[in-house]
Amino acid sequence: MNMVTGSELAKVVGATNVISDSKILDSYAGDLSFVGRIRPEFVAKVDNRQTIMGLVQLAKETATPLVPVSSGGPHFFGDTVPSAGGAVIVDLSGMKKVDLVDPFERVASVIEPGVTFGELIPVVAKAGLRLNMPLQPRATKSVVGSMLSREPVIMPHYHWDIADPIGSTEVVFGTGDMFRTGAAAGPGEIDEQRAAGGRQKEAAGPSAMSLHRLLQGAQGTMGIVTWASARCELIPDREHPYFIASSDLAKLLEAAHWLIRLRLGNELLILNASDVAALFADGDSAYDQLLATLPRWVLFVNLGAYKYLPDMRMDGLIQDTGALLQRLGVQSTQSLGGISAPEFLDAIRRPSAEPYWKLRRDGGCQDIFFLTTSAKIPGLVEAMTDAADRAGYAAAKMGVYVQPIVQGTSCHVEFNLFYDPANTAEAGIVRGLATSAIQPLMNAGAFFSRPFGEAAKQIMNRDAAGVEALKTFKAIVDPAGILNPGKLCF
Amino acid sequence: MALSKEQYQAFEAIVGPENISDDPVDLDAWAWRSGQAAMAQDFKPRFEAILMPASPAEVQSIVRLCNKTGVQFKASSTGWGVYCDAGGPGCVKLDLRRMNRVIEINEENMYAVVEPYVIHAQLQAELMKRGLCCNVNGAGGVTSAMPLAAHEGIGHMSGTCSISERNLLALEWVTPEGEIIQTGSLAALGEWFCADGPGPSLRGIIRGNVVPLGGLGVYTKAAVKIYHWAGPPTMEVKGASPNYVMQNPGNFLLRYLSWPTEEGRSLGIQKLGESEIAFGIMGFNPNMVAANVATSNEEELVLAEQYSKEIVGPGFCVVLMGNSPRDFEYKKAVLEQIIKDTGAASLKAVEEGDVHDAFVWRFIRVTASIRETMRGTGVFGGEVFGTDCYRVMSNFIQHSRVDKQDLIDRGLVYPDNTDPFITSLEQGQLAHSEVLLRWTPAPDVAEAAMEYVGKSNANAVNGHYGLPHHLFNDFQHDFFGPHTSNYTYWLRRIKKSFDPNGVSEASNHITAKDV
Amino acid sequence: MPLKDHQADMESCCRCSACKFIPLEKITGQQYSNVCPSISRYNFHSHSGGGRMGFGLGLIRGRVEYGPRAGEVIYNCNLCGACDVSCKYAMEFDVLEPLYAMREGCVQNGQADPAWDKLVKAMEKQAPVTVGSLGKRAEWHKGLKVKDYVTDKAAVVYHAGCLASTDATAGATAKTALSMLIKAGLDVGVATSGEICCGGRSYEMGYRDEAIEQAKRNVARLRASGAQELVTGCAHCYQYYKVLYPKLGLDLGIKVTHVVEKLAELVEQGALKPEKRVDLTVTYHDPCHLGRLSEPWIAWEGVQRERHMRVYDPPRTLRRGTNGVYEPPRELLRSIPGVRLVEMDRVKEYAWCCGAGGGVRETNPEFAAWTAGERLQEAESTGAEALVTACPHCARNLSGGDSALKVLDVVEILNKAI
Repeated sequence: MNMVTGSELAKVVGATNVISDSKILDSYAGDLSFVGRIRPEFVAKVDNRQTIMGLVQLAKETATPLVPVSSGGPHFFGDTVPSAGGAVIVDLSGMKKVDLVDPFERVASVIEPGVTFGELIPVVAKAGLRLNMPLQPRATKSVVGSMLSREPVIMPHYHWDIADPIGSTEVVFGTGDMFRTGAAAGPGEIDEQRAAGGRQKEAAGPSAMSLHRLLQGAQGTMGIVTWASARCELIPDREHPYFIASSDLAKLLEAAHWLIRLRLGNELLILNASDVAALFADGDSAYDQLLATLPRWVLFVNLGAYKYLPDMRMDGLIQDTGALLQRLGVQSTQSLGGISAPEFLDAIRRPSAEPYWKLRRDGGCQDIFFLTTSAKIPGLVEAMTDAADRAGYAAAKMGVYVQPIVQGTSCHVEFNLFYDPANTAEAGIVRGLATSAIQPLMNAGAFFSRPFGEAAKQIMNRDAAGVEALKTFKAIVDPAGILNPGKLCF
Repeated sequence: MALSKEQYQAFEAIVGPENISDDPVDLDAWAWRSGQAAMAQDFKPRFEAILMPASPAEVQSIVRLCNKTGVQFKASSTGWGVYCDAGGPGCVKLDLRRMNRVIEINEENMYAVVEPYVIHAQLQAELMKRGLCCNVNGAGGVTSAMPLAAHEGIGHMSGTCSISERNLLALEWVTPEGEIIQTGSLAALGEWFCADGPGPSLRGIIRGNVVPLGGLGVYTKAAVKIYHWAGPPTMEVKGASPNYVMQNPGNFLLRYLSWPTEEGRSLGIQKLGESEIAFGIMGFNPNMVAANVATSNEEELVLAEQYSKEIVGPGFCVVLMGNSPRDFEYKKAVLEQIIKDTGAASLKAVEEGDVHDAFVWRFIRVTASIRETMRGTGVFGGEVFGTDCYRVMSNFIQHSRVDKQDLIDRGLVYPDNTDPFITSLEQGQLAHSEVLLRWTPAPDVAEAAMEYVGKSNANAVNGHYGLPHHLFNDFQHDFFGPHTSNYTYWLRRIKKSFDPNGVSEASNHITAKDV
Repeated sequence: MPLKDHQADMESCCRCSACKFIPLEKITGQQYSNVCPSISRYNFHSHSGGGRMGFGLGLIRGRVEYGPRAGEVIYNCNLCGACDVSCKYAMEFDVLEPLYAMREGCVQNGQADPAWDKLVKAMEKQAPVTVGSLGKRAEWHKGLKVKDYVTDKAAVVYHAGCLASTDATAGATAKTALSMLIKAGLDVGVATSGEICCGGRSYEMGYRDEAIEQAKRNVARLRASGAQELVTGCAHCYQYYKVLYPKLGLDLGIKVTHVVEKLAELVEQGALKPEKRVDLTVTYHDPCHLGRLSEPWIAWEGVQRERHMRVYDPPRTLRRGTNGVYEPPRELLRSIPGVRLVEMDRVKEYAWCCGAGGGVRETNPEFAAWTAGERLQEAESTGAEALVTACPHCARNLSGGDSALKVLDVVEILNKAI
């Protein structure tokens, strides 16, 4: 194995940007998932494209695996942990530029990978815009990283395509070439495009390919993204959030379908009591207290009216949704378990406070998530509960998050297995469950579109033809196989 | 290079003798090209045979045979576009007419699954019965409903029903090497709701703003995202061809609005998008409106003159659909407000009565594109620009219209004014623009039209406006490639990797030359 | 007109495929959205209106020969005109007219069905132009006391058509129609010594010269009769007399009416009173020749007056099927107590052909039967008990199908009610 040396790295990234401190290297050797621990050789901090291109060139010459990381920790899915020895972590978290926000075109253009949600939200808000963002991402989570992960977002109304809200991107492929996807491809450099009115917004293209779709879900195996644009939405003038509670998940799913179909809400998601408690409770007793007051399932929806006759709009929305809910046999409420709907809304539009909400209860959390259709969800919840029971995990404390996506064509379903990492028995159970639950869930209709960790290969290898095609593309953009080798099917 | 007897028999063994022909009668039925894009009318090269497979298995067998024999193939559904023609000898046509089923309509999860020869009018009609609707290509309801067949997949309802690149869910693809790939949830579960994953999405190599125009295998089924329809299950339509009039169910309204300046129109489109009131929006110019409404060219001349007196500048057509009486009242009120706030003029001639109702239904079913493009002069073309932010789309075509005026001044194209065509997508998040020309298919005119496209391309490069969609061959791609992230290199690598034997005919896509 | 005279029109075809479907605004579902039997059956694009324009241009340019395949494709077409109607929703050129010209080309180049040669020659001798047995011309009206308009004067000529003398049902229907006209008090006559063929079918098969000669014989006979009106129950004869003759430059000199138009007029006037109840749910099949093809002929010759825009001097008006005979048969059905009319999806100017026309029943009976089967299925889907039409060719072709539906003529049902 050809190993890159620190001095070779320093020539490319600068000596102060090469980290070989063992504590720091150890922190990258594993994460809160159960993937095996492999320590990287170095961490290379980068802050511009040229450096990254040089780094990739060096990696090719020395057969050095590169693992791009843009978010700060803690990491959860194993994608930032090397799967091969001799790796260099490419730390993009210091790239903090947000180049341009355009309210007319509703876009935040050229966002570097180190920008977190907490940093971006106020910047776009100044322009009267907001992001379609995931549910309370952790404070250190990279916006670009989230978009590249195809993380589900909380406004299905504005989630037209599974790739949203990503726009154009700039990427350095494993060949060392720089490429821009979407409208950013050109002609011209970014400033020239902007002079012509371009905003690096359109994601698709150029021409008969949309390579951003191959960068998403790739866990850094296809290229190192140096920036991405994000389409934004308007901040409403008036809002009216509310809950619908039920013990019958199917009823809430039907309500969600119609609310999305008729474009009656912006933020819309479903949580079970455990997840609501995890989001809002602070401390064990508060958690148990809150849990005791919550209904089994909670649908949250927020109506929004913009500056165009907002009062008329809001009155109409309230009346129309009221009529709809009545037809569906459900009722709305303004508070649940002492949490008001506006409070809930405010919470889900911010990154998580520390500690990260998923870790607040027990210190650890293993997520199992997939996509499915709404009819299958009750059965999937049952399948997961059965699997948990069989494994000896206390299913009652499992969080369930259902996020309709792509304007209701499917749902992201997420089981949050809260556990105490210090409790090795419980940790062992959760680890086993994270793998053993996969097959029963697939049998019940789960599509693991974003496989991570130990189960990833098992999931990927079910589709030989698709894997071959992905490998064919991988061979084009990373023929030397230096980008995060060992992930997915690579 | 005619097929050898053995080759013909081998293809015949796959599809059956009644579904293959190499007779000149059947070949010339496909070979006549009346003129589209920038070219004179003439016969194009003949396909060597017409094959009509009935299933993905037959398509796969044909493709594999092509790989063995070196015969090229080009698949199409209804086959309207220039890119459905043969580029040269040695190619067979896969006419997918026999693959015409609506496989599934999933109301709960808002998608439909279609085979290639289901046309939009058929799918829309089936969806309407269930309170649903779909995007319909701007070219019209007679085009394939599969979001992989038409060149772009942008249409009159893309303001709310998005565009094909983004409506595409799972698909079934016979690759140029003859592998059958099912994407996403289809491979994993046999269900159609998601094309993406596991991991990276193969949608990324299957299409972009445009499709590979026959050059990357054959798509045999695809799921397409569908939307809510607040109209009746079946639209009652009275009258006889060509004068059909829908019985307005009471929750549809159409207006043609115009502004003195492009800035005014931009503001109008911005407000329409932000307010989310439009069901459909399409940036016709006065001549297109006249062509749409008129049932003959004579009538079009009369209406064009009449409308031009009332229309004050660049404009667009907007259709409102109310999901409820309250919703409809709101949308109408906002439209009035926007008209007032932006100083728009509304074309009275189409505001009410049969003219209005007929226009609404033509808009939704998209039946008048042929009137707007082909009827007048027999040929239409021009430049078909990109998909991106509104302002860059608008800026580019303001540039291009100057070159169109030059052609008009020289008598080389029909003087239907230079108001560019622009449309707003996904409630104003994106836009698409075109400058269309109509002309008589004479060689000197075709030459001038080619010159115009060349100028447009140069404008796009020099002005940094973006990549047009009208790139139909290696030459045009190579003109843009060096200025556009060298995309041609990557597109060719994809082509070469997935079609090593070069059998998926790519004269309108990009060939793997130099790879 | 020779095919090359249609070249400019044919070159307009942009291959949009509208000709394969009913007018798009009328599509209410996938099942009954096709309109062209030919491509629906055979699937090749060459079998569509647009495809025929394409290879037709090949014929003009000599790229394609009038050979067996050309003959096969050209004659596997009902000449129903549906492609023409669908195309003309948006475009402005004739699709149907070149198809007739291609048939002429087939005859000139020896590609017509040999049976038709025999029939067309027999036409001169008063033989009916239907493939098969030569019936007796005057049998159909046996038993009815009626004038001979050839020897006596009659204000109205009733023309039964060739099929009435070879097909018992057609003959009976014609007799019923005639008896109702007599009952209504019309001064009506027939050619008791035997009708002569109108010649129209021979035109459709491509025998233009023979058709013109036969038409001249008809003109001479009818002008000599002194009658003011010709009424016929055969939709084909109706269309030929009314539209084809003027197209061929011949003036019959008298008004041409279809029997459903006449009967509707008589019912409205009170001369016939449908008073008896007929409890029947029916659906109506629009015959092509009574419907979209029956719009009066518009003679036009002109030049394009602008370089680009296709406008002409004098202005060109196209026939689009808008003004076919659609309402009179429906009015008649609605006038009958107990009859409930339910419509199929494909009606009026975009009705699906019965399959008989264009000589297809004679040259390709399997295709004709297939087309009829499609129509019967559509009729069954309405829940009707009977499929009613106003053309003996349609009635005969649709009756041959495998369906529980009764196939009736409007005349028969009206007669039950009188």
